[in-house]
Amino acid sequence: MAHSEQPTPDRIGPMWTPSREPSRPTWGWILQAVTGALVLILVTLHMIANHFVVAGGLRDFADVVAYLSNPVVVVLEVLFLVVVTAHGLLGLRAVLFDFGLGPRLEAAITRVLAVLGVAIVAYGLWLTWTITSYH
Amino acid sequence: MSEQSVGRTAPERRADGASTRRRGIVGWGDPRGRRLGGFAFILNRLTGLGVLLYLSFHLVVLSLLARGPSAWDGFVSLAGSPLFLCFDVVLIFGLLFHGLNGIRVTLVGFGLVVDRQRAMLVALMVIGAIVLLIASVHILTVG
Repeated sequence: MAHSEQPTPDRIGPMWTPSREPSRPTWGWILQAVTGALVLILVTLHMIANHFVVAGGLRDFADVVAYLSNPVVVVLEVLFLVVVTAHGLLGLRAVLFDFGLGPRLEAAITRVLAVLGVAIVAYGLWLTWTITSYH
Repeated sequence: MSEQSVGRTAPERRADGASTRRRGIVGWGDPRGRRLGGFAFILNRLTGLGVLLYLSFHLVVLSLLARGPSAWDGFVSLAGSPLFLCFDVVLIFGLLFHGLNGIRVTLVGFGLVVDRQRAMLVALMVIGAIVLLIASVHILTVG
Protein backbone atom coordinates (compact mmCIF):
# COMPACT_ATOMS: atom_id res chain seq x y z
CA MET A 1 0.00 0.00 0.00
CA ALA A 2 1.89 2.98 -1.32
CA HIS A 3 -0.15 5.49 0.59
CA SER A 4 -0.30 3.75 3.93
CA GLU A 5 1.46 6.65 5.59
CA GLN A 6 -1.31 9.01 4.56
CA PRO A 7 -4.22 9.24 6.97
CA THR A 8 -6.60 10.24 4.17
CA PRO A 9 -5.78 8.17 1.11
CA ASP A 10 -7.51 9.19 -2.11
CA ARG A 11 -9.65 6.12 -2.33
CA ILE A 12 -11.65 7.13 0.72
CA GLY A 13 -10.76 10.80 0.57
CA PRO A 14 -13.02 13.75 1.17
CA MET A 15 -15.05 15.51 -1.51
CA TRP A 16 -12.12 17.58 -2.43
CA THR A 17 -8.68 16.25 -1.67
CA PRO A 18 -6.45 18.90 -0.14
CA SER A 19 -3.39 16.66 -0.31
CA ARG A 20 -3.36 16.58 -4.10
CA GLU A 21 -5.83 18.93 -5.63
CA PRO A 22 -6.22 22.18 -3.75
CA SER A 23 -9.76 22.88 -4.85
CA ARG A 24 -12.66 24.71 -3.29
CA PRO A 25 -16.00 23.20 -2.41
CA THR A 26 -18.83 24.51 -4.58
CA TRP A 27 -21.55 26.75 -3.18
CA GLY A 28 -23.99 23.98 -4.05
CA TRP A 29 -22.19 21.50 -1.82
CA ILE A 30 -21.92 23.90 1.12
CA LEU A 31 -25.60 24.81 0.87
CA GLN A 32 -26.49 21.13 0.52
CA ALA A 33 -24.62 20.29 3.73
CA VAL A 34 -26.15 23.19 5.69
CA THR A 35 -29.71 22.54 4.50
CA GLY A 36 -29.16 18.81 5.05
CA ALA A 37 -28.27 19.37 8.69
CA LEU A 38 -31.30 21.62 9.16
CA VAL A 39 -33.61 19.13 7.43
CA LEU A 40 -32.38 16.40 9.77
CA ILE A 41 -33.50 18.46 12.77
CA LEU A 42 -36.70 19.84 11.24
CA VAL A 43 -37.93 16.55 9.74
CA THR A 44 -37.53 14.92 13.15
CA LEU A 45 -39.59 17.71 14.76
CA HIS A 46 -42.11 17.47 11.89
CA MET A 47 -42.60 13.73 12.39
CA ILE A 48 -42.86 13.93 16.18
CA ALA A 49 -45.21 16.94 16.07
CA ASN A 50 -47.46 15.38 13.43
CA HIS A 51 -47.63 11.85 14.77
CA PHE A 52 -47.01 11.84 18.50
CA VAL A 53 -47.86 15.16 20.18
CA VAL A 54 -51.60 14.83 19.66
CA ALA A 55 -52.75 11.38 20.77
CA GLY A 56 -52.98 9.20 17.67
CA GLY A 57 -51.39 11.90 15.52
CA LEU A 58 -52.97 14.50 13.28
CA ARG A 59 -55.91 12.94 11.54
CA ASP A 60 -58.90 14.93 10.41
CA PHE A 61 -59.23 18.45 9.12
CA ALA A 62 -60.01 19.88 12.56
CA ASP A 63 -56.75 18.39 13.92
CA VAL A 64 -54.74 20.13 11.19
CA VAL A 65 -56.45 23.50 11.76
CA ALA A 66 -55.83 23.22 15.51
CA TYR A 67 -52.19 22.24 14.91
CA LEU A 68 -51.56 25.26 12.69
CA SER A 69 -53.22 27.64 15.14
CA ASN A 70 -49.94 27.54 17.07
CA PRO A 71 -47.63 30.24 15.61
CA VAL A 72 -44.49 28.33 16.65
CA VAL A 73 -45.72 25.38 14.58
CA VAL A 74 -46.35 27.64 11.59
CA VAL A 75 -42.83 29.09 11.78
CA LEU A 76 -41.22 25.66 12.10
CA GLU A 77 -43.28 24.13 9.29
CA VAL A 78 -42.62 27.04 6.93
CA LEU A 79 -38.91 26.93 7.79
CA PHE A 80 -38.96 23.18 7.15
CA LEU A 81 -40.62 23.74 3.78
CA VAL A 82 -38.02 26.32 2.74
CA VAL A 83 -35.06 24.20 3.84
CA VAL A 84 -36.31 20.88 2.50
CA THR A 85 -37.25 22.46 -0.83
CA ALA A 86 -33.76 23.92 -1.17
CA HIS A 87 -32.15 20.61 -0.21
CA GLY A 88 -34.28 18.54 -2.57
CA LEU A 89 -33.82 20.83 -5.56
CA LEU A 90 -30.07 21.17 -4.91
CA GLY A 91 -29.90 17.38 -4.84
CA LEU A 92 -31.79 17.15 -8.12
CA ARG A 93 -29.40 19.75 -9.53
CA ALA A 94 -26.39 17.69 -8.47
CA VAL A 95 -27.85 14.56 -10.07
CA LEU A 96 -28.58 16.42 -13.32
CA PHE A 97 -25.11 18.01 -13.36
CA ASP A 98 -23.52 14.56 -13.16
CA PHE A 99 -24.88 13.79 -16.61
CA GLY A 100 -22.17 16.06 -17.97
CA LEU A 101 -24.23 18.88 -19.44
CA GLY A 102 -22.67 22.01 -20.82
CA PRO A 103 -22.23 25.17 -18.73
CA ARG A 104 -25.11 26.94 -20.48
CA LEU A 105 -27.56 24.12 -19.81
CA GLU A 106 -26.32 23.89 -16.23
CA ALA A 107 -26.93 27.61 -15.72
CA ALA A 108 -30.41 27.23 -17.19
CA ILE A 109 -31.16 24.30 -14.87
CA THR A 110 -30.03 26.36 -11.88
CA ARG A 111 -32.37 29.18 -12.89
CA VAL A 112 -35.35 26.91 -13.53
CA LEU A 113 -34.89 25.08 -10.23
CA ALA A 114 -34.55 28.40 -8.36
CA VAL A 115 -37.85 29.61 -9.84
CA LEU A 116 -39.45 26.24 -9.03
CA GLY A 117 -38.20 26.50 -5.44
CA VAL A 118 -39.68 29.97 -5.00
CA ALA A 119 -42.97 28.75 -6.49
CA ILE A 120 -43.08 25.76 -4.10
CA VAL A 121 -42.50 27.97 -1.06
CA ALA A 122 -45.09 30.49 -2.30
CA TYR A 123 -47.57 27.63 -2.68
CA GLY A 124 -46.80 26.45 0.85
CA LEU A 125 -47.29 29.92 2.28
CA TRP A 126 -50.59 30.30 0.43
CA LEU A 127 -51.76 26.89 1.68
CA THR A 128 -50.74 27.66 5.26
CA TRP A 129 -52.55 31.00 5.09
CA THR A 130 -55.67 29.33 3.66
CA ILE A 131 -55.76 26.68 6.39
CA THR A 132 -55.07 29.04 9.28
CA SER A 133 -57.80 31.45 8.11
CA TYR A 134 -60.37 28.65 7.79
CA HIS A 135 -63.54 29.13 9.84
CA MET B 1 -7.31 25.21 -11.30
CA SER B 2 -10.46 25.88 -13.27
CA GLU B 3 -11.01 22.20 -13.94
CA GLN B 4 -10.38 21.29 -10.34
CA SER B 5 -12.30 24.14 -8.78
CA VAL B 6 -15.61 22.36 -9.09
CA GLY B 7 -14.92 20.48 -5.89
CA ARG B 8 -14.28 17.04 -7.32
CA THR B 9 -11.29 14.80 -7.16
CA ALA B 10 -9.83 14.17 -10.57
CA PRO B 11 -10.67 10.48 -11.08
CA GLU B 12 -7.65 9.73 -13.24
CA ARG B 13 -5.43 10.52 -10.29
CA ARG B 14 -7.14 8.27 -7.83
CA ALA B 15 -4.93 5.83 -6.02
CA ASP B 16 -7.28 2.88 -6.31
CA GLY B 17 -7.44 3.07 -10.09
CA ALA B 18 -11.21 2.96 -9.96
CA SER B 19 -13.32 4.26 -12.80
CA THR B 20 -11.71 7.15 -14.57
CA ARG B 21 -15.02 8.42 -15.81
CA ARG B 22 -15.60 11.86 -14.53
CA ARG B 23 -19.25 12.26 -15.35
CA GLY B 24 -22.19 10.53 -16.90
CA ILE B 25 -24.60 8.04 -15.44
CA VAL B 26 -21.79 5.51 -15.05
CA GLY B 27 -20.19 8.11 -12.81
CA TRP B 28 -22.86 7.36 -10.21
CA GLY B 29 -20.63 4.51 -9.18
CA ASP B 30 -17.63 6.81 -9.13
CA PRO B 31 -18.03 9.05 -6.12
CA ARG B 32 -15.24 10.17 -3.89
CA GLY B 33 -15.13 7.63 -1.11
CA ARG B 34 -15.87 4.90 -3.57
CA ARG B 35 -15.00 1.45 -2.32
CA LEU B 36 -16.67 1.86 0.99
CA GLY B 37 -19.30 4.29 -0.13
CA GLY B 38 -19.97 2.96 -3.62
CA PHE B 39 -23.26 1.35 -2.78
CA ALA B 40 -24.03 4.02 -0.20
CA PHE B 41 -23.60 6.73 -2.83
CA ILE B 42 -26.02 5.08 -5.25
CA LEU B 43 -28.53 4.29 -2.51
CA ASN B 44 -28.18 7.87 -1.28
CA ARG B 45 -29.22 9.14 -4.70
CA LEU B 46 -32.05 6.64 -5.13
CA THR B 47 -33.48 7.42 -1.69
CA GLY B 48 -32.98 11.15 -2.32
CA LEU B 49 -34.90 11.02 -5.58
CA GLY B 50 -37.52 8.79 -3.96
CA VAL B 51 -38.02 11.19 -1.07
CA LEU B 52 -38.19 14.09 -3.53
CA LEU B 53 -40.92 12.22 -5.41
CA TYR B 54 -42.76 11.61 -2.15
CA LEU B 55 -42.37 15.28 -1.22
CA SER B 56 -43.98 16.36 -4.50
CA PHE B 57 -46.87 13.97 -3.88
CA HIS B 58 -47.13 15.18 -0.28
CA LEU B 59 -47.38 18.84 -1.33
CA VAL B 60 -50.00 18.09 -3.98
CA VAL B 61 -52.07 16.04 -1.53
CA LEU B 62 -51.93 18.82 1.06
CA SER B 63 -53.78 21.07 -1.41
CA LEU B 64 -56.88 19.03 -0.45
CA LEU B 65 -56.76 20.97 2.82
CA ALA B 66 -57.64 24.12 0.88
CA ARG B 67 -60.85 22.44 -0.26
CA GLY B 68 -62.19 21.90 3.22
CA PRO B 69 -62.90 19.03 5.62
CA SER B 70 -64.71 16.61 3.31
CA ALA B 71 -61.93 16.55 0.69
CA TRP B 72 -59.19 16.09 3.31
CA ASP B 73 -60.93 13.54 5.51
CA GLY B 74 -61.65 11.43 2.44
CA PHE B 75 -57.94 11.20 1.73
CA VAL B 76 -57.07 10.42 5.35
CA SER B 77 -59.22 7.28 5.28
CA LEU B 78 -57.47 6.20 2.08
CA ALA B 79 -54.05 6.85 3.66
CA GLY B 80 -54.89 4.39 6.43
CA SER B 81 -55.22 1.50 3.98
CA PRO B 82 -52.65 -1.34 4.19
CA LEU B 83 -51.09 -0.42 0.84
CA PHE B 84 -50.46 3.16 1.95
CA LEU B 85 -49.05 1.97 5.27
CA CYS B 86 -46.57 -0.24 3.39
CA PHE B 87 -45.52 2.79 1.37
CA ASP B 88 -45.03 4.61 4.66
CA VAL B 89 -42.56 1.92 5.76
CA VAL B 90 -40.65 2.33 2.48
CA LEU B 91 -40.67 6.09 3.03
CA ILE B 92 -39.27 5.72 6.57
CA PHE B 93 -36.51 3.49 5.18
CA GLY B 94 -35.65 6.13 2.57
CA LEU B 95 -35.66 8.96 5.10
CA LEU B 96 -33.54 7.03 7.60
CA PHE B 97 -30.96 5.89 5.08
CA HIS B 98 -30.68 9.27 3.40
CA GLY B 99 -30.59 11.21 6.67
CA LEU B 100 -28.15 8.97 8.52
CA ASN B 101 -25.86 8.41 5.53
CA GLY B 102 -26.02 12.16 4.96
CA ILE B 103 -24.37 12.70 8.34
CA ARG B 104 -21.45 10.57 7.17
CA VAL B 105 -21.26 12.17 3.74
CA THR B 106 -21.24 15.65 5.25
CA LEU B 107 -18.57 14.88 7.84
CA VAL B 108 -16.34 13.12 5.31
CA GLY B 109 -16.96 15.87 2.76
CA PHE B 110 -15.58 18.39 5.20
CA GLY B 111 -12.59 16.14 5.83
CA LEU B 112 -13.74 14.88 9.23
CA VAL B 113 -13.72 11.30 10.50
CA VAL B 114 -12.44 10.21 7.09
CA ASP B 115 -10.38 7.30 8.36
CA ARG B 116 -13.27 5.98 10.50
CA GLN B 117 -16.04 6.36 7.98
CA ARG B 118 -16.66 2.66 7.51
CA ALA B 119 -17.27 2.20 11.23
CA MET B 120 -19.42 5.32 11.20
CA LEU B 121 -21.53 3.98 8.34
CA VAL B 122 -22.04 0.66 10.12
CA ALA B 123 -22.99 2.41 13.37
CA LEU B 124 -25.42 4.74 11.60
CA MET B 125 -27.02 1.86 9.73
CA VAL B 126 -27.46 -0.12 12.96
CA ILE B 127 -29.24 2.90 14.47
CA GLY B 128 -31.33 3.19 11.29
CA ALA B 129 -32.29 -0.49 11.36
CA ILE B 130 -33.45 -0.24 14.96
CA VAL B 131 -35.51 2.90 14.29
CA LEU B 132 -36.93 1.36 11.10
CA LEU B 133 -38.00 -1.75 13.02
CA ILE B 134 -39.73 0.26 15.74
CA ALA B 135 -41.35 2.61 13.21
CA SER B 136 -42.57 -0.29 11.04
CA VAL B 137 -44.18 -2.04 13.97
CA HIS B 138 -45.81 1.23 15.00
CA ILE B 139 -47.08 2.02 11.48
CA LEU B 140 -48.40 -1.47 10.76
CA THR B 141 -50.07 -1.96 14.14
CA VAL B 142 -51.21 1.49 15.30
CA GLY B 143 -51.57 2.81 11.74
